[in-house]
Amino acid sequence: MENYLIAMAVSGCIYALMALGLNVIWGFAGMVNLGLIGFFAVGAYGTALTTLKLGFPMAAGMLTGTVLAAAAGAGVAMITARLRGDYLAIVTLGLAETIRVISSNTIWLTNGTDGLSNIAGPLRGQISPTQFNMLYLAFVATIVAVAYVLAERLRAAPFGRVLRAIRDDEQVAAVAGKDVMAFKIRAFAISAGAIGLAGALYAHYTSYIAPDLFVPLFTLYIKLALLAGGLGNNRGAVIGAFLIVFFLESTRFVIPLVPMISAVQGAALREILIAALLIVLLRYNPQGLVPERLPRLPVADAAPGKPQTI
Amino acid sequence: MTKKTLIASRRTVLKGAGALAFTGAMPAIVQAQGAPLQFGILTPLTGAGGFDGPRMLKAMKAVLDEVNAAGGLLGRKVEVVVEDDQTNPEAAVRAARKLIDVAKVPVIMGTWASAVTAAVAPLCWESKTFLTTVSGADSITLLPHQGYLIRTQPNNYLQAGKHAEFIASTGAKKVFVMSIQAPFAQPTQDRIKSVLPTKGSEMIGALIYEKDKTTYRSEVDLALKGKPDLVYLNGYAPDVTVILRDLYRAGFTGPRYAQSYAVTGKVLEALPPEATEGVITVQPSADVDSPAFALASKRLGIPEPDSYETQATDWASLVSLTVAKAKEANGTALKDNVRKICQGAGTKVYSAVEGLKLLAEGKEINYEGASGPCDFTDIGDIIDCKFRYNKITGGKPVFLKIA
Repeated sequence: MENYLIAMAVSGCIYALMALGLNVIWGFAGMVNLGLIGFFAVGAYGTALTTLKLGFPMAAGMLTGTVLAAAAGAGVAMITARLRGDYLAIVTLGLAETIRVISSNTIWLTNGTDGLSNIAGPLRGQISPTQFNMLYLAFVATIVAVAYVLAERLRAAPFGRVLRAIRDDEQVAAVAGKDVMAFKIRAFAISAGAIGLAGALYAHYTSYIAPDLFVPLFTLYIKLALLAGGLGNNRGAVIGAFLIVFFLESTRFVIPLVPMISAVQGAALREILIAALLIVLLRYNPQGLVPERLPRLPVADAAPGKPQTI
Repeated sequence: MTKKTLIASRRTVLKGAGALAFTGAMPAIVQAQGAPLQFGILTPLTGAGGFDGPRMLKAMKAVLDEVNAAGGLLGRKVEVVVEDDQTNPEAAVRAARKLIDVAKVPVIMGTWASAVTAAVAPLCWESKTFLTTVSGADSITLLPHQGYLIRTQPNNYLQAGKHAEFIASTGAKKVFVMSIQAPFAQPTQDRIKSVLPTKGSEMIGALIYEKDKTTYRSEVDLALKGKPDLVYLNGYAPDVTVILRDLYRAGFTGPRYAQSYAVTGKVLEALPPEATEGVITVQPSADVDSPAFALASKRLGIPEPDSYETQATDWASLVSLTVAKAKEANGTALKDNVRKICQGAGTKVYSAVEGLKLLAEGKEINYEGASGPCDFTDIGDIIDCKFRYNKITGGKPVFLKIA
């Protein structure tokens, strides 16, 4: 049981890192990105190929995966410069599918639909599976903690303020002298980099990646995590990610208790249950469990002696 | 204790009688001797494999019900813990974690998609859990699984070898192979090229084509240049349709050979009967002449269980028999003993219950399955398997043979 809980906590951390990444682009800047699984794939393949084919150490692989994903993010931001809302969502969704199709057809590089096996994990094989899980949990938890602090800094910094301005009204931001395009590209790169790092962490954790992994289902889980936790709030992103993993896993234990249903009906019921829980949650907390709170900034020059907020 | 019973007071006699009455009232507890044995089933109940998973699940449960009715294993009842792999590697890994770490099952049966099997396999061998699968990709059994994996589905190597033997037996001397760009293309051609000469035939050439073209005339011309006796079309339905048409237009009416999934009912509808006349199709088959197949058919109440249902029948039987043979239920005992009950010189048995009886008498057994003989190589591939051959006649597949 402990090993299972630890493994699910690792999954939760990887989901959390993706949710934090998605929050930068969707929560702060208001750009809907349905292609995050594509960046996840770039990160995963980046590190897998660097370590497997080129023989570099894991740290170098993860860095490569992260940088490649960030670069892909910047590229997407440039391609989709004029798109917003639903149009952006469709293009990013298509982009993720394109990456999946490419990965299943460039057999010489990615081994096609067979996928890449035997991706190294820190001390895997030298320590027991439980010890490996604990070590990995400590590793990913540290990364999520660092990512959270950085995301919080980003949110409070002028950079975060500009992203929110772009989210609320792009033209006003431009009129205020902000280079909207440059900010979007940077936000996309940061977001994709975090998601790519999550992909790299996933690859080293499970030791196997294949195109079948990078399907839109995963994207939806992370989107739901962020919605449930609270869009625009980093704490919400982390809480939402763990909540989704909790929903996904706890339903496993509930379904066998339901009498008179077959395993097939149970599997369907489990998906219905997850959906119902989310609907109930969002019905009563439309802004998620932890709604976004704007940072309070004292304005120095206005009304002496009486700090104002913007 | 003995002293006490010897000088038993009326009170202790009453107590004893009460205890006896209590155990008498609950015979199940006596029989089951503690907790039931739990076997893990991880199979697609939703997603792309949602058609095959539930049927495999049913077949496995039917076998284990029979085992339970015959007294269970090691004096314990057998239960299954079922998880849905959602035909998705990420979801499957989480589900497998639960089976391994919470239910602590000795075996996981039923993975279907190759990517799911490849994702779950490392968990299994690291945690010393046995895995049985239908995934066909050659790469699966090449994983460093240390014996913790068997598959009952013929891999590409076995299939291509069998195809080559059949092709040579038709009397074709010069064979040309046209393959679609897919993971199986090159390995299939290599295998056919090496097997044909041993049977007095020869592969005069081969090519790999791109999918989704509207015409394959140039490929067909290249194939017919060496005047082959037989053309092997190793592709999927959309491209094989076009190639059959182009071959017919080019005047080739000799034998053409393809997988059954590439010459579907739709393909036969789309083409005129002349273009498909004489095409031979092949697919892995359950061993329909085996007594195990007849038993599976009766158990499931369906006249012709398909390849997946018979393979699932065989997993549940193999695992049950191995547990009985090893006298313990853990993954390592399963991997070390599975080959002791399914191959070798023992008495042939065709169902789990039949085998359990003989094992209880201390006899050696050799389980012959509904899907085939169930003999495994060191890396967990089956050694032999039956194939079903059809010949298209008048636009309809006509049964040729199972061999």
